[in-house]
Amino acid sequence: MTRFLWFNRLRVMIRKELLQLGRDTALLLFIVYGFVFDVYLAGAGFTFELRNAPFVLLDNDRSEFSRELTGRFNEPIFRFVADVQGAEEAMGFLDRGKALAGLEIPQDFYESLREGRQTEVQINIDATNNVPALLFSSYAEQIISDYGFEAAGMYPKGFSESDIFTLPQVDDQVRVWFNSNLKDSWFMAVIELFTIISILSIMLPAAAFVREKEKGTIEQLRVSPLSPMLIIMPKILSMTLVILGGTFVSIFFVIHPFFDMPLHGNLPVFFLVTALYAFATAGIGIAAASIVRTQGQVAMLVVLLVMPMLLLSGSWTPPEAMPDIARKIMIVSPLYHYFEAGLGIIFRDAGLGQIWHSILGLSAIGAIAFGFGLWHVKR
Amino acid sequence: MEVTGTMSTIIDVENFGKRYRRLDVISNVSVTVQRGEIHGLIGPDGSGKSSLLKAIAGVLDFEHGIIRVFGQRVNSEEEAERIKGRIGFMPQGLGQNLYAELSVEENIDFFARLRMVAPADLETRKTRLLEMTHLERFRERPMKHLSGGMKQKLGLVCSLIHQPELIILDEPTTGVDPVSRRDFWVILSQLLEEYGTTAIVSTAYMDEASRFHRVSLMYKGEMLAQGKPQEIRALVSGTVVVVKASSQIEAFAILKSQYLQVQPIGHHLRVFVGKQSSEQAESAVKGSLSHLEIAECYSLRPELEDVLVTLLIDRNEHKNVGSGPVFKTMGRKNGKRNGPAIVARDLVQNFGAFRAVDHLSFEVSQGEIFGLLGANGAGKTTAIKMLTGILPSSSGNGQVAGVDMQKAAQTIKSRVGYMSQAFSLYEDLSALENLKLYGGIYGLSGTGLKERIEQTLALTGLQGYESEMTQGLPMGVRQRLALSCALLHRPSILFLDEPTSGVDPLGRRRFWEILFQLSREEGVSILVTTHYMNEAEHCDHLVLMYAGRSVADETPAGMKLALRKEAGELLELTVDRPVRVLEVLEENGLSDAAIFGNCIHLLTKNISDTVLKIRFLLESNNLSLHKVDEIPISMEDVFVHRVMALEKHASQRQQA
Repeated sequence: MTRFLWFNRLRVMIRKELLQLGRDTALLLFIVYGFVFDVYLAGAGFTFELRNAPFVLLDNDRSEFSRELTGRFNEPIFRFVADVQGAEEAMGFLDRGKALAGLEIPQDFYESLREGRQTEVQINIDATNNVPALLFSSYAEQIISDYGFEAAGMYPKGFSESDIFTLPQVDDQVRVWFNSNLKDSWFMAVIELFTIISILSIMLPAAAFVREKEKGTIEQLRVSPLSPMLIIMPKILSMTLVILGGTFVSIFFVIHPFFDMPLHGNLPVFFLVTALYAFATAGIGIAAASIVRTQGQVAMLVVLLVMPMLLLSGSWTPPEAMPDIARKIMIVSPLYHYFEAGLGIIFRDAGLGQIWHSILGLSAIGAIAFGFGLWHVKR
Repeated sequence: MEVTGTMSTIIDVENFGKRYRRLDVISNVSVTVQRGEIHGLIGPDGSGKSSLLKAIAGVLDFEHGIIRVFGQRVNSEEEAERIKGRIGFMPQGLGQNLYAELSVEENIDFFARLRMVAPADLETRKTRLLEMTHLERFRERPMKHLSGGMKQKLGLVCSLIHQPELIILDEPTTGVDPVSRRDFWVILSQLLEEYGTTAIVSTAYMDEASRFHRVSLMYKGEMLAQGKPQEIRALVSGTVVVVKASSQIEAFAILKSQYLQVQPIGHHLRVFVGKQSSEQAESAVKGSLSHLEIAECYSLRPELEDVLVTLLIDRNEHKNVGSGPVFKTMGRKNGKRNGPAIVARDLVQNFGAFRAVDHLSFEVSQGEIFGLLGANGAGKTTAIKMLTGILPSSSGNGQVAGVDMQKAAQTIKSRVGYMSQAFSLYEDLSALENLKLYGGIYGLSGTGLKERIEQTLALTGLQGYESEMTQGLPMGVRQRLALSCALLHRPSILFLDEPTSGVDPLGRRRFWEILFQLSREEGVSILVTTHYMNEAEHCDHLVLMYAGRSVADETPAGMKLALRKEAGELLELTVDRPVRVLEVLEENGLSDAAIFGNCIHLLTKNISDTVLKIRFLLESNNLSLHKVDEIPISMEDVFVHRVMALEKHASQRQQA
């Protein structure tokens, strides 16, 4: 009988939370935006690849060789912006941000190559955003060295083009695993999905909890025969349900169809891990909500909690590349554990054997946060 | 240059109208206020008082009508700028216009600088105002540490420091304790007399009408009546008959079928009989109850609230409140348990250095309506929180429904119903969804829940509202919905924390009828808190709270009787210059007098001697006395008297 009572109370409270969420248009729009549009935008629009990198050309040689070299800087990776007359004009483009790089070919380029002499080309790169700058320089280096290698073979010794490949050389055979086309849309979309899950699983229960404080309904609940557990638990459970639903939509209706991402991993396990993650993070949200008073404070708190969680999660920088201290702090970021487990399952088809330590970490963080929230409500 | 003809009219509002979201919330409101007048805007929450005051102050845009202040139109922002220097405005809410961290003096200085008051003027005015408001001692105290009444007085000082010709006060007395309230009115009268200032003041307390020279009665954005308080009272002729019969429920049912206004007041019934003299009315009421034994029957003059309700009934507004309760016993009667329903013993609650509740003790018997009456901050809510187990007490103990509040909080929670100031409903859920939620929380489900919801809705008269979203419901309906939620699990004890604030008189009366039925028919014990003094009369038993302490513990009638024995009858003197009269009386040892508009109220044991003395005093001071009436003592008189006695006692002890 009492068990029935307990579950009935849980049921009506969960129902109430879902009804309230269902009528909060602003929050619903935010959820839809997060799980659908934001994930799509991240996958489609956000990239680490070099695309349409604008460059200007200062060709002092104007020979067939210089044309051959510059012709290799083609779309879609590069975009030719202008032919300039002097170094100053080229810098002008860089200064105004109209070009990422300026390529300068010396006057004796043709002659030097013809006569088998060494020659140089100069590239000036705007490194305000260091990632495309780095990519530009490495791609350009590759193109120029390839051309140099060909030229060295052909002139002045007179090999034909096909003969070049008979020369001794090391051939590197790269095998790319888990994302064989190196599509960053896959990684970006999944990372964004994880970020959205983090934000919402902190924000939704915290907002639901603080709304009760603001309206004064929490008093009514506290005078009723509900235990603190039955006040907190339904919020976390209902919001976890919403997040699982959103994740499902995001994976099956956005990431999979739009970015052709194969779903290799054990998805039931993935959803279980997601539920555990949402639960742990919701615990943090509730614990935080128990010390603030208004929705505005919740919004600030979400930023304050999610930013370090993201930075310490290993999503933007692999843990190996972080300073020692940061790597040690990372184990308290639930997102770090979720990344380890979630990415493992989705991309590498990892099983429990590979991700058990992440599950343990998530459970520990969740239990501590939930316990703190519960303790705070009891007081 | 002076246009003397119009100078006596300070405010002239013609056909004022205001729209919110394409709805006319205020329409066709006209008001004129003459120089030196204290004009009252009286009406329940949502009647448009604040909007009108803001428009007069030039801080609110409006769609219809013309507003002239000092003969100057204030229909646009530039126009309003020209008069702002000559008016003072005090917004609604305790200390709303003040700065919590600044001291009393810093607040005054700030407003003076804002209004560019010359330093020399500031010093003299500040000294005088602080002296009048008895705030002199608290110059250095930060505003946040002042009591509600002191905050309002400081607010008044700050809005008067530039000596405005007109002062606009929006509900300055709401939630302020009656003693400070009385103080506030005296100070206001004195100040206005001294500086010749005009005042327009709004209030939601009907019983404050007599404080004004003239009154505008507003309801739902319309002007119902205007005039002197006596004139408004005279709008509706009739008598209020108070009767105590052998069976209160039966008598209530009979009278309810014949008269539109019947209220249970404690063990009495209060009937408004229209258009009849007191003898006629009494015999008519007695005639209707001929088969019952009548223990008591007397008549009173109608109060302003009776007038308002009558005017509203004429406009058929009472139909919107729903039909009266159906009087048949529904469901189980709570079995008579022995012993009191609630016992509080020496309850103490400390918040840091502040003692919110100070050795509070009382007992609530089974099936009675018990009232905790006190101002905001008197400790009523804190006491309820301790008894319902959401706030552990610092010391003392209590029993609710026969169990100890500290040991069995969980048991108490399942046996009591609770409804709070905020009505504690989920606004984004429909009425039915709210009911189902609370039903589920209290362990009801399935057909049991369904039946119980139907029963409760029938009791509170809310059938037909089930699918409506709570957000859009009027305050009175919300209040009854919250009560329904608290009743679903058939609690034997109900805790109602300020259940009627913000509800209009019709809704309030309807609510008290339901409480009456619950207590009389179903034997539910009800503990209710309120800061409406006149509402306390509904209770069977009362505890007056002041500064966390109980200052009186009696039936309302018993309290009045005790006051009569102690201090005598209440006299009302109608005079021309009340402020001056009060001074004369005080100089001659009649210290318990208070100003009510153009009248003075005074308690005296020996009526004839006192009247003779007053006549002599006023004559020798060239002050006219129009009329002397004996009027009934109100709960407010009781409250003020008890607190004053307490304070006198405390200061005597300090001196000794």
